Amino acid sequence: MEPYTRPFWESLRDGTVLIHACESCDERFFPPSPICPHCHSTDVDWAETTGRGTLYSFTRTHATATAFDDELVIGLVELADGPKLLAPIDASYDALEIGDDVRIEAAEYDVEHDRGWLEGYPFFAARPLD
Amino acid sequence: MQMYIIRSGLLYHIVPDTTTPAVAGIGTVPNGTHSVPERDLALRVVRDALEDASLELSTVDGLYMPAPRPWTPQGFFSTYLLHVLGLEVDRSLEVSTGGTSGGNAFHSAVSDIRDGTVETALVLAVERNSIVETTGPYFDYILKSFDAEFESPIGMTVPAAYAQSMQRYAYEYGIDRGDLADIVVKNRENGAANPNGLFDESPSRDDVLDARLIADPIRLFDCPAPCDGAAAILLTADDVDESSSPQIAVDGTGYHHTASHFLMSRETSITELPAVRRAANTATDRAGVSIADIDVFEPYAPFPHIEAIVTEELGLAERGRGVDACLEDHTAPDGPFPISPSGGCLGRGHPPMVTPLLNYVEAVKQLRGTASTQVPDAGRVLTTAEHGHVNGVTATVFATEV
Ligand SMILES: [Zn+2]
Repeated sequence: MEPYTRPFWESLRDGTVLIHACESCDERFFPPSPICPHCHSTDVDWAETTGRGTLYSFTRTHATATAFDDELVIGLVELADGPKLLAPIDASYDALEIGDDVRIEAAEYDVEHDRGWLEGYPFFAARPLD
Repeated sequence: MQMYIIRSGLLYHIVPDTTTPAVAGIGTVPNGTHSVPERDLALRVVRDALEDASLELSTVDGLYMPAPRPWTPQGFFSTYLLHVLGLEVDRSLEVSTGGTSGGNAFHSAVSDIRDGTVETALVLAVERNSIVETTGPYFDYILKSFDAEFESPIGMTVPAAYAQSMQRYAYEYGIDRGDLADIVVKNRENGAANPNGLFDESPSRDDVLDARLIADPIRLFDCPAPCDGAAAILLTADDVDESSSPQIAVDGTGYHHTASHFLMSRETSITELPAVRRAANTATDRAGVSIADIDVFEPYAPFPHIEAIVTEELGLAERGRGVDACLEDHTAPDGPFPISPSGGCLGRGHPPMVTPLLNYVEAVKQLRGTASTQVPDAGRVLTTAEHGHVNGVTATVFATEV
């Protein structure tokens, strides 16, 4: 059996952010899953997005798990295509406001955190758009 | 036997008469730093609860507890404890659902007494946070509770989740960030009056707003301080009256989990906490009362904006006006709907596995008239527990028996 989410990470490496679309209820959702969380149909498939969205909220940590920098800028991004996801924000905290236009893009992952089978894959980050 | 009645053209299922559990005894140690093993804290609160209830240990036939946290040296805790106590039971349970563990353990005991599986239930919680490094290992453990594939690799923390709902709450409703500090001050003042609380003093509003940043815009005193604690509660069937203490009935229980995980909700904003409303409605319906009948609220509200939103979810304030309820002293011990006269986890200190039981203990003290900050003539108390970002909630209604 293949990890269900592998296409997301393969596609991210090639520069495209994939989410999931339900053929039955037409909702878009994330994280990807073989069962639609809106209507529970299994008639679901991958859908491409532009990765564009807006900043729904954000924070800056001052302490976290051992492998990470103490100060991390993290936010919730509401994709133009619907679902929200949590992402590292590639910007300084003080420069951000709720509603800012951002885009989810692939980002090199260099933290000593065990991602299991995803070792070697990029992660993602939200970058502000001007 | 199933019974139904028809009223207003609708079919109602009549729940057959079941036993209403009563709180026979309570035992606690003060929140703080305890340098003895969890076993000794557990045995102390068990002994005190039995003494408070004037019950013999041999009457206990059920043991319910939150699963001790992974850094607790003693594993398989309930089995070990039953051996040490020389106690045989017909049910024992360790629950692991984060901050609702104590709530779910308590509700399991309530269910077993209601249906007659158990006659005398011992609900126990013990936790030491003083033995875990709050820098690395604690954060490493917490990291796993987020989506392991899409969120943990970001380095998320619990305050970083609540910080985002605070930020969004202030944005959606134009809340003055400074006003949230008044909720902290109110709870710390109540907590300072609680002899079992962690703190003797309350910071001022300016102290709260100048404290060190934890996850912007959350600062140190906006967070519940981790500490050690333990509590035990003895529940008996209503008609078993071997107790010398006044008995308090557990009149209603409710649980709800929304289809969300931390900040990942779909239809609702992260500034709404529907699980609170749903669980509280179930608990008050079961008790045959409404929120307006409740005299004291002891919610599990780990950050000030969460108390404000809980106030809104309970229908005590309009959306975005939960902070005003505190500013206008409506939530003060002498206000129309006192919230956390014990101090709550913000004012009292926070061993998360024990906090739900400390809320129950405060409910019992309010109803006995022995609380540190007593609400006059308290007859009904509603408490909650929650886990994640209030994704799952237990609600419990306590009342004096009439
Ligand atoms: Zn669907």
